[in-house]
Amino acid sequence: MAFPLLSLIVFLPAAGAGVLMCLRSDDAVRWTALVFTVLDLALAVAMLAAFDTTTHEMQFTETHPWVPAIGITYALGVDGISALFVFLTALLGWISVLASWVAIDRKVKEFMVSLLFMQALMLGVFCALDLFLFYVCWEAMLIPMYLIIGVWGGDGRVYAAFKFFLYTLAGSLLFLIGVIVLYFHGGETFDILALTAQDLPFRVQSWLFFAFLIAFAVKVPMVPVHTWLPDAHVQAPTAGSIILAGVLLKMGAYGFLRFSLPMLPEASVYFSPLMLALSALAIVYGGLLALAQDDLKKLVAYSSISHMGFVTMGIFALNLRGLEGGILQMFNHGVTTGALFLFVGLIYERTHSRSIADYGGLMKVAPVYTAFLALFTLSSMALPGTNSFVGELLVLSGGFAANLTVGAAAVLGALLSAAYLLGMYRKVALGPAIVAARYKIWDVNAREMAAIVPLAVFVLWVGLYPKPFLNVIDASVKHLLTQVHDKEGGQ
Amino acid sequence: MTAATLFQWILASLPEITVITGACVLLILGQLVRKGQENLLVWGSVAIVLIAALTTLLLASEVRPAYSGMFVADRFAVFFKFVFYLATVLTFLLSRKYADIEGIGSSEYYVMLLFALSGMMIMASATDLLSIYVGLELMVLCTYVLTGFLKRERRSNEAALKYVILGAVSTGIFLYGVSLVYGLTGTTQLDAMAAVSGDPLDPGLLLAVVFIVAGLVFKIGAVPFHMWVPDVYEGAPTTVTAFMSVGPKAAGFAVILRVFLNPLVAASDVWIIVAVIAVVTAALGSFVALVQDNFKRLLAYSSIAHAGFATFGVVAGGADGVASVMLYLLIYAFMNLGIFGAVIMMRNGDFSGEVIEDYAGFAKSHPGLALLMLIYLFSLAGIPPTAGFFAKFYVLTALVERGFVVLAVIAVLLSAVAAYFYIRIVMVIYMREPERAFEPALTPFVRATLACTAAGTIGIGLFPEWFLRLAQHSAFGG
Repeated sequence: MAFPLLSLIVFLPAAGAGVLMCLRSDDAVRWTALVFTVLDLALAVAMLAAFDTTTHEMQFTETHPWVPAIGITYALGVDGISALFVFLTALLGWISVLASWVAIDRKVKEFMVSLLFMQALMLGVFCALDLFLFYVCWEAMLIPMYLIIGVWGGDGRVYAAFKFFLYTLAGSLLFLIGVIVLYFHGGETFDILALTAQDLPFRVQSWLFFAFLIAFAVKVPMVPVHTWLPDAHVQAPTAGSIILAGVLLKMGAYGFLRFSLPMLPEASVYFSPLMLALSALAIVYGGLLALAQDDLKKLVAYSSISHMGFVTMGIFALNLRGLEGGILQMFNHGVTTGALFLFVGLIYERTHSRSIADYGGLMKVAPVYTAFLALFTLSSMALPGTNSFVGELLVLSGGFAANLTVGAAAVLGALLSAAYLLGMYRKVALGPAIVAARYKIWDVNAREMAAIVPLAVFVLWVGLYPKPFLNVIDASVKHLLTQVHDKEGGQ
Repeated sequence: MTAATLFQWILASLPEITVITGACVLLILGQLVRKGQENLLVWGSVAIVLIAALTTLLLASEVRPAYSGMFVADRFAVFFKFVFYLATVLTFLLSRKYADIEGIGSSEYYVMLLFALSGMMIMASATDLLSIYVGLELMVLCTYVLTGFLKRERRSNEAALKYVILGAVSTGIFLYGVSLVYGLTGTTQLDAMAAVSGDPLDPGLLLAVVFIVAGLVFKIGAVPFHMWVPDVYEGAPTTVTAFMSVGPKAAGFAVILRVFLNPLVAASDVWIIVAVIAVVTAALGSFVALVQDNFKRLLAYSSIAHAGFATFGVVAGGADGVASVMLYLLIYAFMNLGIFGAVIMMRNGDFSGEVIEDYAGFAKSHPGLALLMLIYLFSLAGIPPTAGFFAKFYVLTALVERGFVVLAVIAVLLSAVAAYFYIRIVMVIYMREPERAFEPALTPFVRATLACTAAGTIGIGLFPEWFLRLAQHSAFGG
């Protein structure tokens, strides 16, 4: 039997959570959580190092019967697309631990346990090759996330936690029905690869497409089911926001890539204009909303909606550049927006204010902080040389190829993002140092640098030399495209 | 009748005989138990149930029909009997301390529970409308008494009275249906009814079926015969509420499955009525629970909602439908007894723990117990990886398999509504500041119950295979 690397990656954080439960001192809890998340990252890097980029086949697969009575297996495996997100999840995992080091000062143990369980389940979602396993991980995540927002969040945390929980639950329950329908249409199996190979009648595909769409659109989130996101982000603690923006939002898009496109190709092609229109709407509407915010976290949250619009647009452009750009943009958004939420969290720890009006002249008191903030702000607005530029360019070229109007709307969204991000940066970092007069500000310390620098490295790495990242996903994306177009062309 | 057949009949009903004999012995010996030795009563009652469980297990190897077609000890009955044993034993364990606090710790309490158990066991094995009636009456008469066991409490007396009157009416309706069936088919045996060749849509038969449905649906607390549930659940001693929400409900479903899936009844399009009942029950339970402040009342409406969900499995029918109802009831027994165990444990001194707000900030002082409650509540809400999710999942699978996709969609949407009030309790436990110090009555008995239910709730959720196979194996109609 092969070495169960993926199981190890998935279960290591859960094992860590188990160890944490036995610890008493808060410091021991923090360090142990850090050790486990760093080890997990090391395993993920090892997985990427051994990853064969020339094939689209699932790698590191493991299959064990779980509930054979109704054809449920415990099956794990990664292709290029999921490998990238396993890595992203592991990367953001230990950064979340660092981000909560001092920000979480009560019930530290419970928080870290939730965080680690969360990570295990997110990794499970990306590795699962069994639809039932996927659904279990996907849905079980609601429990730790509900607690993270509801127990350690801001003043309106209870409302935000409820909204998050019920929105996501309502979306996923219809997905569950879709899964069961698929199970019976696909020969009573939950094996994702076997289900992908099925040729479903168009009518069934259309129904399933909408059942899946509701679940994935809530997670992405796409306009008009995005309203939980600003509340959840604003109220969540920093680590919660990082995970939400960095990984959770990616799951919706990942769902489109793993299920909607390959399993329901005809419906995906048929409904792609609708999806493109919704994406364009999200890009512009999210951008406009971000423009009007005076709360730092809300601004970043609405910018997420706009940026995730680029992702779905790239995916439903259904061409190579669009898809590769969309997937790369998912990774970039995880890094960049994760970093922006980290930055909001860092400054909030010092001032306890998220209102943009309270800031100004931060550059004079915290030069290192503002320098990195500039980098991530520029990355978020897709300046050439940063990661998002590569992704957005690919998405735009894919989007224009698919539909001129939609492409034009996306360009408008990119302009908007420059407006609100630069405006934010100007108000916070530049100008007279009103902030120092009011609060005691100090620059980033070593622990915070440890969280920031890796993210900055990826911003520049993907920005200047994206080839390794595109290489990882290339074979899988090409295969995905053939799956979509071959079946569709066969009609 | 030869001695050999008599022996076979006795063998088939040995578990029932064990429980009834044991209850009678306990009734006499219980009088000798002195104050301060009530543990003996618990141990004695548990021993009786365990002996019955053992005999059930030993005799489970083959199907044993008995009493000229009135009774059968088949695998279906065995499965249900184990659900009953589980519910009864856990109720005994929960009752010890609670009975002391409430002053109801006499031996009659345990004897009544044992008699109710024997009634439920007869219901699970009954294959004749009349033996069903006998088991049903034995069970409900005991639960009437148990409901009113808090003699000095007005609520408890009122609940018992309501329960008796409504229960008697529903039994009357059921009997009337049985008499119609007898008039039309000349038999009350389920197998013989199935063999009758007649027009299944005969108006007389339809009327009879509707009466029988009404009588049985009352017992599981489904709409429109649910009015007694909240009042009785709230007024009864909490341990009895815990027992009634699991045991008698499961017994009701055992009978419903046997009767509704009888070919003659099934052919009369009864599933349309059952489908409507399922939807309305799940909807009413979920929506009304949203506005409850009393924990027991909330759990009463939650049990109505769960009864509705399990009824969806009856609608689906077929082997998977039956198995899904059975698995649902088993899992529901674990998680519901777990949450009731937590409520019972809170009852200590003057503190009743009946209002949801009483639990504010419970997680701060008792993280372990709060985590257990969280597990039960998320399981009741049907969130994976708990057993509650798998129970719902399997019912939905059975529905979709039979082509009832629309019903499945309705079912999940209603369970999303229901999730709200469960996570509201989690919110109160975890996200409020405590207003008082908590002193849960954590006796070893209560600890054992919580450990067992938690193991079931998590264990079946993670490894459902064995239990699923058991349910599929025990279901009939394949």
